[in-house]
Amino acid sequence: MNEGMVVFVRAIIGFFSLLIFARIIGKEQISQMTFFDYILGITIGSIAGTLTTDLSSRAWPHWVGLITWASLGYLMELITLKWRYAAKYLDGEPAIVIMNGKIMEDVLKKMKYRVSDILLLLRNKGVFNPNEVAYAIIEPNGDISILKKAEHLPLTPKDMNIAVKSSGISTEMIYDGMVIEENLRQLNKDKKWLYKELKKHGVKDPSEVLLLTLDPGGNLYIDKYEDHIQKVTDIGDYKGPY
Amino acid sequence: MIIRDLTRKVKWMRKFLIIAIPIVTLAIFVLIMLSGNYLKKPLGEEDNIPELVQLLTQNIYDEEWAAAAENTEKLRNVWNKITKRVQFSSERYEINGFSMNLARLRGAIMAKDKANSLSELYEAYEHWKELGN
Repeated sequence: MNEGMVVFVRAIIGFFSLLIFARIIGKEQISQMTFFDYILGITIGSIAGTLTTDLSSRAWPHWVGLITWASLGYLMELITLKWRYAAKYLDGEPAIVIMNGKIMEDVLKKMKYRVSDILLLLRNKGVFNPNEVAYAIIEPNGDISILKKAEHLPLTPKDMNIAVKSSGISTEMIYDGMVIEENLRQLNKDKKWLYKELKKHGVKDPSEVLLLTLDPGGNLYIDKYEDHIQKVTDIGDYKGPY
Repeated sequence: MIIRDLTRKVKWMRKFLIIAIPIVTLAIFVLIMLSGNYLKKPLGEEDNIPELVQLLTQNIYDEEWAAAAENTEKLRNVWNKITKRVQFSSERYEINGFSMNLARLRGAIMAKDKANSLSELYEAYEHWKELGN
């Protein structure tokens, strides 16, 4: 009997089961997770770990535990999706901790947050003076959302009555030296146009280009393989192994 | 028209595979994990553990120590064969337990100890029954 071989097979079972379950449950990104989602993830991962290495018991009971936790997680997700009343209890809801520049002590107490926690979250958002904040809301995932007082909001082109061209999302035209013709067609361009633009930038062939993107405003971004940078800035401050 | 039909077919195939592959994968996993109870049972001529245990019990009961020693050796060979096929779906606890009982059984038979031989044999059989359950 080969223990290594058994662990190898069990690891494959655990890994792909976890992958499939995660694909079925997972809509959220890590940053959007609530506290319970976090615990759910840890528990399911830990069960998969035991499934792999605990050879004293069979893989089956661990797998049943895994699928039960995953199914319950999925069920909770369905319930919160269909039933707002339950979602309010299960997911929690946003709470206003600063209103009109005043810290709401009662809400803080209920949420089990200290004032120093709020100040920390504000600093994370680049706010070092609570005076600047009109509203601050603690989201169910523990993050803070801030609305600054009007006088502290950044100036926008609209405030200055300046007309701006919309930039839109840029599309890749050349990626890793390959022309993506599908994207060219999408923006009503052809290869002839592309070669003309490349020539303007001193490029003879698309294979010299790492990335070329075009936004709806007609702005090109070109990055060639050869960057011709004379003096490379090194931001490393300590001489490591490489 | 043909191209549209083809793209529709490809899309359908893709959707089918996205659903079918995980289901088939999970089904294979479940089969592997639950195969122990089936694989421990005799699949050929020479791998019948309950039969050998019964034979050994009779040998020990009748104090036929030479035959008992021979059958214990046979049991050990069969057991080695069976552990190879049930190892992925069984608990090591039961496998190790059976192997230990087998070792003690050989000693007890060598010492012609009827009481110990029988108790080891019965415990080994209990381990076999629990294997993969």
